[in-house]
Amino acid sequence: MALKLYDYSLSGSCYKVRLLLAFLKLDYAREQVDFYPGRAHKSLDFLELNPLGQIPVLEDGDLRLRDAQAILCYLADKYDKSGQWLPRDPDLFGTVMMWLMFAGGEIMAASAARLHDSLGYDLDIAAARQKAHAAFRILDDHLTLRAIESTRWIAGDHPTIADVACFPYVALSGDGGIGHEDYPALRNWMRAFRRLPRFHAMSGIPEFV
Amino acid sequence: MQINDQVEADRWVGVALDSQIQSASSHPVILNGRELALWRGESGPARVWDDRCPHRGMRLSFGFVRGNTLRCLYHGWTYGENGHCEAIPAHPDLAPPKTICASTHGTAAKYGIIWVNLSATRAAHVPDLPNQPGWLPVRSVHLRASAPQVLDGIAEFDYGEPARTSMPAQNACVVVLGSDTQLFFALQPIGLDKTGLHVVVNESGEPQIPRRQRLARQVARLRDTIEAGGGGVWPSPRTL
Repeated sequence: MALKLYDYSLSGSCYKVRLLLAFLKLDYAREQVDFYPGRAHKSLDFLELNPLGQIPVLEDGDLRLRDAQAILCYLADKYDKSGQWLPRDPDLFGTVMMWLMFAGGEIMAASAARLHDSLGYDLDIAAARQKAHAAFRILDDHLTLRAIESTRWIAGDHPTIADVACFPYVALSGDGGIGHEDYPALRNWMRAFRRLPRFHAMSGIPEFV
Repeated sequence: MQINDQVEADRWVGVALDSQIQSASSHPVILNGRELALWRGESGPARVWDDRCPHRGMRLSFGFVRGNTLRCLYHGWTYGENGHCEAIPAHPDLAPPKTICASTHGTAAKYGIIWVNLSATRAAHVPDLPNQPGWLPVRSVHLRASAPQVLDGIAEFDYGEPARTSMPAQNACVVVLGSDTQLFFALQPIGLDKTGLHVVVNESGEPQIPRRQRLARQVARLRDTIEAGGGGVWPSPRTL
């Protein structure tokens, strides 16, 4: 089997990759990394795979990639012949990239809050939650304008890797003390995403929708 | 923060836009610190219950809809539209007793807004507006400001054209822009310094998509203006 994912079941970043692998119907091998409590992602062995000491890592034959967003781009570019998940139309491509960077940047404040609350990470939880709320508001504003156009996805008429990248840490934010009460457009977008064919849940995200 | 021991006033409060509560969905809503579940079956009107499963206290807003029942995510206890428990998956042969019932509240849909009345009496009416039909959704926003601050902010906001403000009821505000456009704002007090604002528009000639998007952007500017005027960085640290 060519594809191998260095994975951790509770990681929202790994979940991004697992979701796209499922949407693209790709078979892959999983190697579980003992992220907690083992901190195996900081071991010397793992640092040889990714000097940043982060999961996920994807191997495809001799190629090895880190960063969930980069992996999504690679998988969609190579394996999605429909071009739906990574549109090549320049306007759509640019828009997808913009929200992909947002997923790896601003939204990660919600991941930080979750690491604090669920794994005891030592960080400024008030600041993390405030930044996450600010990011959620930006995405909710965007999806509100999209909904007025009767469009449910972040870019274009189909779900893209921008939706895949933004979904996990928005959906998991309750684990970091960040509720969804203030974000009606986010709630409707998340429900539509969970109803996609081949969607699968993870711990913290209900299977039933 | 649950405020369950207070007597709820006989008053209708807007808590969402009807268009945003899609069929077969459940949503968390907070009104005066009270956690509510707002849900809609596969058909029919939206309903508002306390956000608490009578079984183990799980939030019903986390639940899921099948047919016109709301099912708790925890153990699948299944509640019909009147709140009565209809099925308990772990005891498939048991007819649940009538005493197992979600705490239901008066719910109405008017002007494209979903209204809730938490009182037991419900003698009050949903606020009356001059134009009954023709209201279209703009958007909801949630502000880090008190309801009085939001009302002041709506009256003081620069809409870019002459605006006349009136208050047909408590926590409800009409702004007339020019001669033709009416904006209706329903305020949802969430906490002492947090307010939901649900906005609909009425103007001759049904407003098209770009017009409705422009109004939605303007409501976001109103939100940001009110929060800046209140001096609060959102969200304020003391409420975290």
